[in-house]
Amino acid sequence: MTMLKINNLHASIDGKEILKGFTLTVNAGEVHAIMGPNGTGKSTLAAVLTGKDGYEVTQGSVEFDGKNLLELEPEERAQQGVFLAFQYPVEIPGVSNANFLKAAVNEIRKSKGLDNIAPNEFLKLMREKMELVEMSKDFISRSVNQGFSGGEKKRNEIFQMAMLDPKLAILDETDSGLDIDALRIVANGVNKLRTKDNAFMVITHYQRLLDYIIPDFVHVMYNGQIVKSGDKSLALELEEKGYDWVKELDMV
Amino acid sequence: MINELENILPSVKNDHQKASLQNAIAIGVPSMKHEEWKYTYYNKILQQGFSPAFVVDQQPSVEKEFIDEYAVSENRIVFVNGVFHNELSQFNSHPKINFWNSNNISEISTKDFLLELNNALATDGVFLEIGNNVVSEELIEIFYIHTNSSAIVNLRNKIKVGKNAQVKLAEYYINYDANPAYSNIVTEIEIAQDAIVELDKIQDAGNLFNITDNTFVKQDRNSVVTVNTFSLTGGITRNVLQFDINGEHATANMNGLYLLQSEEHVDNRTLVNHNVANCESHELYKGILGGKSTGVFNGKIIVKQPAQKTNAFQSNRNLLLSNDANIYTKPQLEIFADDVKCSHGATSSQIEDSELFYLQARGIGKEVARGLLVYAFAAEMVERVKNEKLRNKLQSRIAELLKIEL
Repeated sequence: MTMLKINNLHASIDGKEILKGFTLTVNAGEVHAIMGPNGTGKSTLAAVLTGKDGYEVTQGSVEFDGKNLLELEPEERAQQGVFLAFQYPVEIPGVSNANFLKAAVNEIRKSKGLDNIAPNEFLKLMREKMELVEMSKDFISRSVNQGFSGGEKKRNEIFQMAMLDPKLAILDETDSGLDIDALRIVANGVNKLRTKDNAFMVITHYQRLLDYIIPDFVHVMYNGQIVKSGDKSLALELEEKGYDWVKELDMV
Repeated sequence: MINELENILPSVKNDHQKASLQNAIAIGVPSMKHEEWKYTYYNKILQQGFSPAFVVDQQPSVEKEFIDEYAVSENRIVFVNGVFHNELSQFNSHPKINFWNSNNISEISTKDFLLELNNALATDGVFLEIGNNVVSEELIEIFYIHTNSSAIVNLRNKIKVGKNAQVKLAEYYINYDANPAYSNIVTEIEIAQDAIVELDKIQDAGNLFNITDNTFVKQDRNSVVTVNTFSLTGGITRNVLQFDINGEHATANMNGLYLLQSEEHVDNRTLVNHNVANCESHELYKGILGGKSTGVFNGKIIVKQPAQKTNAFQSNRNLLLSNDANIYTKPQLEIFADDVKCSHGATSSQIEDSELFYLQARGIGKEVARGLLVYAFAAEMVERVKNEKLRNKLQSRIAELLKIEL
């Protein structure tokens, strides 16, 4: 079933066009890896899909579950089931992980006409999902991302993803700055959350993460669009040949 | 105002009070022409119809249950319209804590209108003496209740804390019936060596309540004193807080949070006199200004020549939420000693779009997201309140004001 349909998407920031005709269809149950050199528009794609301010869509369309995603506020997109694991998660001193996620869970429930989650049910859910990303117990009461190491921040993103149970999860360079242990924990978390009903878009610069999260499709992005698509072997080929090879592809 | 003071002058019998009243008349009502009142329009309080009175209005009845709602401890000292209220007050007896309502008001000689007004017209106050080595676990709560009075309520408090004693105090202003209210309160605190004291000032009596507060703290050696001032709702609020550090190895902590969302005006002025060597002062005032509110911060640290090895740090951080809100901030440092560590600074910022987006991307609507981020900015100030019950109460209250659930 088609979940996300991006068609000829053009987007710019400060008048500079970054996405130049990006087209991709993602079906439920699929994992898509988006690879490409720095500055090629990967993070812009994530930002535009999740509704970050400052980006202007000049052409093209994005449909999510048949709805026009681009006309929704960021929180509405999240409420519809779009999740972004941030490349640089924000620290929120003074707001505990528990309070932050309770607010998120309840706002999402409210959008669906549901009552607030019962406190004991919420705690149970937190404990269960914490195990998934090997969070220690004191995590519940710690402030969101405050004083977290790079690895902990990324694990927290995956934890939040587990809590909110999105349909489409976009992982923006989740592997950057992670040591091998953190990478394994993050990837395990993602793998356990994969179902036939959800989909993942894994944005990465390196092939490394794809050793742990096996993608169904690999897309190579360059200069604001997809220049080559293939299966997981494309990632290995890319690793071997380097991104200069991609630049040549774009020339063709 | 001055006319009214002149009119009541003949009825003042006590010589000291008479002299103070004459001083007040001579000094005149604070004006924005005065440097210390540059951003605060004092007459705006008086224009709400307050007059100086030597005799307070008849004491109205306030139910005990009413206080129960506000109190977090069993030690309560309650004043209604400037008069000690015996039935509402209660105190767990302690042989070394003495308190009584006293008319033995000491003078503070000064050139300040509000202090002289208080000298002349104070009707009552807390006189509290904490004996040596007393460790009081329970919070001592002081309530200033105001109900339907056009008189300026003048209270004069004096608190003495004995050697090696430990005590926590909190004061609250309450507007009983939502009429305009104005309290002019002066508190003197003397702290003996090795004592540990915390005073929490909770100013949250609604936007019809005006406060001018002067608090003077004198510290002896090795003592640690913390004053936390929370200005949450109010009309015009002016807090003057002065520390005199007179004994070595003493620590003064001054924390403030002003959370202003409509048309409140809060003016915090602090002065720390480092008079002796080897002491520390830590000052952090954080402000959140929305609506058409105004904040004023003026913090002064004076390190006297003998006060070598002083560590004095001051910071004022503001979060501006609206284009119509204003903050006037002026940190000042005067150092006459040469071997000291001092810093001061002021910042003002807005909510970062990147932070807002992070919360929105988790499904949280913009308004709640803002509320959570503002709460996050305020949270560290509440953390500084040691009494858990009061801290929890403040946390819920701030969440309520920001329309978020925690």
